[in-house]
Amino acid sequence: MFLCIFASDNRIAVKFIVISKGTELVRVPLDRLMYITSDGNYSNVVSLDGRSRLVSLQLGQIEDLIADQVGDSFGSFLRLGRGLIINLDYVHIIDVAKQRIVLSDCAGSWHELTASREVLIKLKSYLESLTKMTDEQK
Amino acid sequence: MSRNDDIKDNEFRVIGKGPDTGTDSGKGRKPWRGWIVVAAVVMLLAGAGALYLYQRQSTIATEPEVVFEPLPEKDDEVKGITETPVPLGNQKDSTSYTEHLEIDINDITLDIYIPHHGIPSLSVGAPDINDGSVILATQAADIRADNGKIVGAFVLKGKPLSWGLSKKGFCGIIDGEITVGVADNSPLFEKATETGGYFFRQFPLVDNGQLVENEYKGKSIRKALCDRRGEIFVAMSRTPESFHDFAQALVDLGVSNAIYLVGSQSYGIYRDSADSLTVIYDKYGHRYKYENYILWRKDS
Repeated sequence: MFLCIFASDNRIAVKFIVISKGTELVRVPLDRLMYITSDGNYSNVVSLDGRSRLVSLQLGQIEDLIADQVGDSFGSFLRLGRGLIINLDYVHIIDVAKQRIVLSDCAGSWHELTASREVLIKLKSYLESLTKMTDEQK
Repeated sequence: MSRNDDIKDNEFRVIGKGPDTGTDSGKGRKPWRGWIVVAAVVMLLAGAGALYLYQRQSTIATEPEVVFEPLPEKDDEVKGITETPVPLGNQKDSTSYTEHLEIDINDITLDIYIPHHGIPSLSVGAPDINDGSVILATQAADIRADNGKIVGAFVLKGKPLSWGLSKKGFCGIIDGEITVGVADNSPLFEKATETGGYFFRQFPLVDNGQLVENEYKGKSIRKALCDRRGEIFVAMSRTPESFHDFAQALVDLGVSNAIYLVGSQSYGIYRDSADSLTVIYDKYGHRYKYENYILWRKDS
């Protein structure tokens, strides 16, 4: 299994997550990867177009792959609890009361997911602090 | 084993290095945390061991052994096994439909689907939602992701489609009667081939009222085919659960035998007493040629 991130050419730096194991390879542009859910010993990789692909890797293994390859240079993916990795760029709604998080590109792609109340509170706080940081930098 | 399984459901972390926001989450992975946890566990175990030895010596020297939690009496155990539980489902209706119940047990919410007056069978390929005779259908045997073939022995209307003993749980349907059980070899496989019946294998969950441990870890939405003293139903966890917790909930519900069904958000449908069709999940379905279902049709 491996993951690589590379530029498709010298002008456009399109990065991909490539998950390869056994006879199958799944390749998704990083900015099109919305979230990954745990499904026992498998994981579902869901892309912006709503398509999902089941891969025979545990979520922790996929997190390892992402972390190893992006290293300290990338912070757009978050691990939420034991069952979910999300692309921070698509967080649209956090509803703590309903334990719901909506990922959307606000252009037709809409995914409702559930997460624990505690993790949503932390995520909300994290995003608020990111916003404050951005405001202070202006 | 991934090094990144050390996370709880109420935690989150940035993958790679996110900006330092002052929260406890934007600082990436902390490899030293693992060693601190290991050291803490070792110290705790050492302390507990020393305490145990000390208490044991004191007990032997001065007092008889004390049992802090009363064990169930033998009579209670026998009573629990022999007494027929009250059926979960409605026993009065004579029409064919699926009853949907919601039961909380051990803090796990279970959706229970009880087919009433239905004739069980297996099918290969997803059921047609326009087929009004189907009152309940849910995926049965697992499919191998690499070649799309059925995992374990499978018999469809007397015709074996797959062989093998990768899982010890089984379901045989002979002359419209479902048998759920756990065995390396079941005569129901041969009987199904001889009588035009059905048979498939899955992970065992409950065997004669006893929880069966499975080696697979992780949590997912779990689904099971259950026999509760003759009452056959499909149970599904509403939230992701481990095999162990799910099976324990079934045991505590009084299920005598249960095997796993394809879990997660796998495709399934049912028709209620108003003949209204509900798709339980429509996410994972219609993907493989040998995707197979256990289904119940109206008996008239």
